[in-house]
Amino acid sequence: MTTQNQDIMIPEITPELKRGPQWLQDKRTASKESYNNSPIPRRGLHLWRYTDPASFVVDKDQVVDTAFRANLNYTIEAELAHLKDGNLSAFVVDKSGRDIEINSSDNVTSDVIIISTLSDAVESHFEIVNKHLYSLVNNETGKFEAMNSALWNDGIFIYIPDGKTVEQPIHLLRESGLDKSAQFPRLLVVVGKNSEVTIIDEYAGGSETQSDNMSLTNSAVEIFGDIDSRTRYISLQRNSEGAKIYLAHRANAEQNASILTVPLAFGGAISKQNFGVTLNGEGADSKMYGLLFGGGRQHYDNHTLHHHAVGKTTSDINFKVVLKDKANSAYTGLIRIENSAKVCEAYQENRNLLLNKGCKAETIPELEILNEDVICSHGATIGPLDPEMVFFLKCRGINETDATRMIVSGFVEATLKQVPADLKEKIPEFVAKRLEDI
Amino acid sequence: MSDKKPILEFKDIHVEVEGKEVVKGVSMTINPGEIHAIMGKNGSGKSSLSNALMGHPSYTITKGEAYLKGESILDMEADERSRAGLFLAFQYPLAIPGVTVANFMRAALKSHRGADADMSDFRKLFKAAMTDLSVDQSFATRYINDGFSGGEKKRIEVLQMSMLNPAMALLDETDSGVDIDAIKIVSEGINRYQSENNGVLMVTHYQRLLNYVKPDKVHVMMDGKFVLTGGPELALKLEESGYEWLNEEKTGV
Ligand SMILES: Nc1ncnc2c1ncn2[C@@H]1O[C@H](COP(=O)(O)OP(=O)(O)OP(=O)(O)O)[C@@H](O)[C@H]1O
Ligand SMILES: [Mg+2]
Repeated sequence: MTTQNQDIMIPEITPELKRGPQWLQDKRTASKESYNNSPIPRRGLHLWRYTDPASFVVDKDQVVDTAFRANLNYTIEAELAHLKDGNLSAFVVDKSGRDIEINSSDNVTSDVIIISTLSDAVESHFEIVNKHLYSLVNNETGKFEAMNSALWNDGIFIYIPDGKTVEQPIHLLRESGLDKSAQFPRLLVVVGKNSEVTIIDEYAGGSETQSDNMSLTNSAVEIFGDIDSRTRYISLQRNSEGAKIYLAHRANAEQNASILTVPLAFGGAISKQNFGVTLNGEGADSKMYGLLFGGGRQHYDNHTLHHHAVGKTTSDINFKVVLKDKANSAYTGLIRIENSAKVCEAYQENRNLLLNKGCKAETIPELEILNEDVICSHGATIGPLDPEMVFFLKCRGINETDATRMIVSGFVEATLKQVPADLKEKIPEFVAKRLEDI
Repeated sequence: MSDKKPILEFKDIHVEVEGKEVVKGVSMTINPGEIHAIMGKNGSGKSSLSNALMGHPSYTITKGEAYLKGESILDMEADERSRAGLFLAFQYPLAIPGVTVANFMRAALKSHRGADADMSDFRKLFKAAMTDLSVDQSFATRYINDGFSGGEKKRIEVLQMSMLNPAMALLDETDSGVDIDAIKIVSEGINRYQSENNGVLMVTHYQRLLNYVKPDKVHVMMDGKFVLTGGPELALKLEESGYEWLNEEKTGV
């Protein structure tokens, strides 16, 4: 099965992409070969039942295209002001995974956070990068992970040394280009022993309408939480309406480390996102509170993974989906508990709220529990807005639109509670926007 | 006579639910200051009538008229009826996860006052209403009826009524599932609200509530119709003898 359509193979890696020392170039080349030599995943194959893989293939000329930039100046100015006010530790603007601008707060010194481009970190923090980069998302993870592994131009590197608490969040703004652009952003986060950090990873921009030239963003995120560390990672996908997004997120939690992951998705045309945490040391805990809000003809395909590699680890997933118009969503949630991983607790819940006929949701819990000494539960529901709830609120004078908004906000409240205050303020805006023309 | 328009008046109301007629032509006139009670067996159509009057979409009024302060309400949506001054306390108040009692109450009051209304007095009013009904302040930040006990739900219903101060209150079994002490609290709440300017229609199974909130008229509902209307003494008779004698009377006629 190695006959490949030449047109969709990754071409010779352009000089621009040849950054880094030989070992890195070798990895890129290996990834390129993995991509070119692997077939396009068949529809119906695990995790590809709901989205056409062809959506994420790029044309030769797309890859080397100079990125167009979406106009995100407003956000940028507002966030720079936050930085100045001391409400952020750092604000990074990542333009199409090519130009990365790092703004650090004056209050935060480099013994607390090291934040740089990946291309710089390859030199300045060789050992950490060499040890972690590609260890969670690489050419063996999947075809499109191989694509990112080959083609990322520059990425973001965040390293919190042992015993440091970063008080204010780090905000990353990943801008996608307009039509025909393709970008391969990459993020590597290493949180040292007993350290603490919050990262807000916001994806914006991309094609504004659906067409044959939709922008593609293929992103890879690797997060390492060392012993006793506490990491909060919020992924906010609010790309424009014509953007295609492929995201591979993987995190590792060592002994007694806790990781909170908050995947939020409001944007994009076709969005396939995969969030996974491996619990690698006793006492490790992962919580994932996700929220997706789709309208129009948006298509979402989300996968989550909680992998209990060792015993005495705990995980909890609560993933909420709200859809209207003709939007659709598929959610696949895998909990895997190894045979040797005794005394684990794992919970998973996926609730889908459909605001009108015409939208569609699917939910597929997957449990691979290889021993019996665990507590595990899962629940899933798909249903319309409860007309009794609407009536109840209307009986108190609240009009139908406001009643719907209240019920939807209530539905997502448990998820929003987990989001840091500064970001939480923005989220009801996105929800309200989706509800505007009900 | 001139300024004494009935608060609520309905004539020959028929209600259908799921294609079945459950209310079969009932009429009532409630004048300002009056308290009426409806009693009747389970399934006789009391809640269906209350829901239909409030505008529940599943309860279709197939025939009849209804006026609130002289204005026809049957073409109004439930929220319009509420803003026009009609209130329904539910027999089974619904939980709305994620929406706090305080946020809900604020939105409800604001909808009654108008979008631009000053809401700076809200906290004070809300706190006072909670104190009046012996509702712990912690309920403000709890989700509506989510995990509330039966009695707590009913007290919160009365709290909503007292804050919205409607012209006409329909209270569907606001005494059921409420303990003996709480019935007193709930009754006091109704009596505080009740005035010469508004109307109260209570659905109840028990005399106990009527000891505290004295009705002017008691209507007995059977199989979708009012079969008998009388004074407070009728409730006492029902408490004593049940509904069977009514059947005999009916068939005897
Ligand atoms: N939503 C509904 N769907 C189907 N049938 C209904 C519905 N609501 C009421 N009914 C039926 O209508 C009839 C009247 O019910 P209703 O709830 O009005 O009685 P009720 O007098 O309030 O009784 P209770 O004293 O038990 O509260 C019953 O036969 C009931 O099953
Ligand atoms: Mg009833």
